[in-house]
Amino acid sequence: MKRALLVAALAAVSCKVNLTPEGISKAYRGIKEARKDLTPENEYYVGRAVATNILAKSNYKYRDESGFSSGKLEGMTAYVNAVGNVVAMASLETPHDGDRPTPLAGWHFVVLEDKTINAFAAPGGYIFVTAGAIEQAGNEDELAAILAHEVAHVRRGHALGSIKKSRMAGVMKEMLDSSVELDKQALGTLTEAFDGAMDDMMDSLLVKGYSRDTEFEADSVGLEIMLKAGYDGSAFVSYLKKLNAHQATGSGGFSATHPKASDRISKLEKKVAKAPKVTVPKARINRFKAAVLGVE
Amino acid sequence: MRPRFLIATLLLATGLAIAAPKAGSVVTVRVLTAKVMKAPKFIGPAAGDVSRGEQLKFEEAKGDWYRVSGAISGWIHKTNLTERQVTLSSKPGAEGAGAASRDEVELAGRGFTPQVEGEYRQKNPNLDFSHVDKIEKTSIDPGELEAFVAEGKLGGGQ
Repeated sequence: MKRALLVAALAAVSCKVNLTPEGISKAYRGIKEARKDLTPENEYYVGRAVATNILAKSNYKYRDESGFSSGKLEGMTAYVNAVGNVVAMASLETPHDGDRPTPLAGWHFVVLEDKTINAFAAPGGYIFVTAGAIEQAGNEDELAAILAHEVAHVRRGHALGSIKKSRMAGVMKEMLDSSVELDKQALGTLTEAFDGAMDDMMDSLLVKGYSRDTEFEADSVGLEIMLKAGYDGSAFVSYLKKLNAHQATGSGGFSATHPKASDRISKLEKKVAKAPKVTVPKARINRFKAAVLGVE
Repeated sequence: MRPRFLIATLLLATGLAIAAPKAGSVVTVRVLTAKVMKAPKFIGPAAGDVSRGEQLKFEEAKGDWYRVSGAISGWIHKTNLTERQVTLSSKPGAEGAGAASRDEVELAGRGFTPQVEGEYRQKNPNLDFSHVDKIEKTSIDPGELEAFVAEGKLGGGQ
C-alpha cells in the first residue's frame, strides 16, 4: 500500500494519471523513462558535477579565474557573461513545453583556454565556450548565436536527456523506496547512478554528440532566443558558414559532436529569412572588437 | 517514514514555478539568489537581492512578474519563486554539512542531493569542485546590464 501511495503521488504530479491500478502501473512505467522528472535541485547537483568534469578535461584552464574568485569579472569574460545573460533572460520570454526551470544558481559563462572550436552546456546553466570558438566569431551577434544555442540545450534539458533510462529507473526507485536519511545501500545506488549519469552526459558532450534532431532543436530554439534578445538572426547562419568552411578542412572539436554545418544552415535559412532585419549599431561592433580582439 | 508525509514531500518537490497566487499570500524564493527589480523587467535597477528560502508577500502579477513585499519590495520573475517550502542547501564541504536536520534533508529533495555529491566527490578526489563554487557565486549587476543593452540597442527579455 505504501509503495502504491508513493507511486500514485509522484505519478499524479508528474503525469496527471488517473489513480486506478492500471493508471498507476502505467504511470510507474512512465516514471522510469521520465528523465525530466529530476527536480531543479537534482539538476543543480548534476550540473555542478558535469561542469567540474568539463573543467577537469580542460585542466581547469579558463579565462579570468581571478575575476571569478573576486566576484568581479573583467575583460572578455565579463563581456561574454553580459551577452550570455541577455540571451538567457530572453530565453525566459520564449518558453516551450517541457522547458527546464530557471537554473537554481543562475547562468554562468566560462571561456575555456582552448584553441579548438567548441562549446558545452552543462545542466543547471553552466556554459563553456572555447577561446577558439569566440575567435571564429566576427561580431557580437555571432557570439550571441553560439551562446543562444547552448542556452537552448539547457532550457530543453538535452544533457539530462542523454542519461540512460536504466539509470533513471534506479534513481526513481530510490526516490520512492528509500527512507528520509539515505542508508549506505541507497546512497551507494544513487551515487552509482550519479557516476553513470556523468559518463552518459560527458560522452554526449565530448565524444558522441547529441542526435541530429537534438542539435537542430537547439539551433531552432537558439535562433528564437537571439531574435527575442534583439540580435541579428543572419549572424547565426554566417557563423555556421564559418564552421562549414572549417569542417571542410579540419576535424575534432565541434565537428566530432555536431551535424554537418551545411545541414544546419539548410534548416535555419528559411527561418532567418522571415525574421525582422536588424541594423547592428556601431557600439555593438566596437565593444566586440575591444573585448575579444583587444582593439580600442 | 509515514506515507502521507512522503506524498506531501513528493508533491512539494515537483512543484516548480507557480500560477499567480492570491494577493497577500506567501511565496518563497527557490533559486539560490535572485534580484528583486524596481520595475517588472530583467534589465534595469534592482531593489536588492533575495536568497533561497526567503519568504515574500505576493501583491500582484503583471505577466510573468510578481510584485512582492517583505525585507525587499519590488518585482521578481515568477520562475524564481515557489509555493513550496525550501531550505538553504547544505552543500558538501560547506559549514554545517552533514548536520542537516531531518526536515532539511526531506525538503532538499530526493535523488541527486548534496549527500550524493559528497559521496561522488569522495570517490573522485581528482575532481576540484572549488572552481564551480567560485563560478556560481558571480553575478551580473542589473544596472550594468541595462547600460549594456541600451548601448547595443538590444531588447533582451524586456
